[in-house]
Amino acid sequence: MSDIDKAPMPEKGIDQTLLGARITKQINIQIANQLNTGILVVDAQLTIIVWNRFLQVHTGKKSENVLEQSIFSVFPELPVRWLSRKLNSVLQLNTPSFCSWEQRHHLFNLPHTRPITTDSDFMAQNCTFLPIVTDTNDSYICILIEDVTDVCHYQTQLKKALAELAKINRIDGLTQIYNRRHWQKSLEQEYAKARRHDKKLSLIMLDLDHFKLFNDNYGHQCGDMVLIEVSALISTLLRVEDIFGRYGGEEFAIILPETDLSGAIELAQRICGRVSALALTYKEQNVKVTASLGVAQLGEQEQSYEALISQADAALYQAKAQGRNKVFSNQCSSTLAVG
Amino acid sequence: MSEFHLTEDQQDCLQELINIAMGQASDQLARYLDSFVYLKVPSIESVDAKELMRTLSEQKNAIAVVSQGFFGHEGIRGEALLVYQEGDSDRIADLLGYEPDDLSKDEQVIDISSILTTTFLNVFAQQIDNQMSYNAPKLLPNVKDNLFEHLQQMPFTWDIALKVNINYQVTDYSFNCNMILLIPEVAITNIKHVLNRILAEF
Repeated sequence: MSDIDKAPMPEKGIDQTLLGARITKQINIQIANQLNTGILVVDAQLTIIVWNRFLQVHTGKKSENVLEQSIFSVFPELPVRWLSRKLNSVLQLNTPSFCSWEQRHHLFNLPHTRPITTDSDFMAQNCTFLPIVTDTNDSYICILIEDVTDVCHYQTQLKKALAELAKINRIDGLTQIYNRRHWQKSLEQEYAKARRHDKKLSLIMLDLDHFKLFNDNYGHQCGDMVLIEVSALISTLLRVEDIFGRYGGEEFAIILPETDLSGAIELAQRICGRVSALALTYKEQNVKVTASLGVAQLGEQEQSYEALISQADAALYQAKAQGRNKVFSNQCSSTLAVG
Repeated sequence: MSEFHLTEDQQDCLQELINIAMGQASDQLARYLDSFVYLKVPSIESVDAKELMRTLSEQKNAIAVVSQGFFGHEGIRGEALLVYQEGDSDRIADLLGYEPDDLSKDEQVIDISSILTTTFLNVFAQQIDNQMSYNAPKLLPNVKDNLFEHLQQMPFTWDIALKVNINYQVTDYSFNCNMILLIPEVAITNIKHVLNRILAEF
């Protein structure tokens, strides 16, 4: 109950009491009409009996076409079945009911008046349905319609920003593939999955040969271009479930779920061949790039995902030691030539 | 034992008030749902803040929590949390007679929670000569990680929580949820006054 209901009424005489009641009534009406909230009162038959200025202004409808009319004929946009049930619960249970913009953007098609661009032409609304019982024991429902366009707008912006941040958090800015942190987290998960379900898991570690020379001979912009082009090329050679990340400066890593060693080697050889065949130019000069790749499959002995990285890393070292532009695996007897 | 702890008499009295409120609320619900509502006697525990934190952090499988603030006269106010375990909320649509495509799952859970909370608290408020107003119910996002955080970010410090275990069975549908009423200390003092008043009348 608002304090307005309890406004002091002088008990000096009937005239004074009536005067007090009249003033209180006037105050209530003026407040209702100046509120920046829509007020709509319907009776048990869902006929509109009261509405305030906020709604008059925002709907552009005339009182004579609204009062004494069914709420559904005045506002044909309302979901009949849903709202009937909602209002019925208010009448029967004598409890308030609510409808938030987060579940339903708006109930009433009211234009919003915000000087901002939003996703919707309509005012986002929080609606409250309040039971009202009068002295005569008649039941009414007061519908309060709050304009929450701002809240909705900023919340949507915030969600977008958070999604963008979450993406930035996973992605390497230069190459647009996964960064080391996200890649490593993925490997941790894939390792756990492979162990739990007894599935195969392989790993390719890849390092660009003599990468420092690109930077030294042509400048860092050339190095960056090589990293971008090689990442883009490798991305096209992978399956959707493969997880490709930038491990360090010029070192990349690929997680291959449900893939055995021969499958991983086959892919590594294809990557090795395609990288060396890449025709890159920087400032009208041809730039030749090759990669060394180490491959490992998760075996019985590895106790952690880090151990798998070590295996692939050791193989990568061997590929480098044996002359670069090669694929190597410690789990395979022979050195693997470029395919 | 904190000064906000209820005596045995007060606890009994409160249990009785809640039983009555729950009984009347389920009666109203049965009429509204136009079906037979079977209600077990709700089990009530009052738990202190630390204890609740512990129980709730153990309740890892909570899938949805709906929070709704309530406030009445004499400083009686608090927040009701309705906690659903996996599977509890599957039948809500059936229970409320919604069509499958009628509402999003979120809206269903919010709807039934609000109905449960407000019918119960309305009757409870009548018992103690009070009248309640309510905030809009809110579904807490990402319950799994956030329930604990939510409890710590309450706008008021609460020292006692009333945990009311509700078990509704509606004809063919069984439906379980936990209602947890978080009540700040001022409100507890006021509730104790009311309980003492009722006890004195006996």
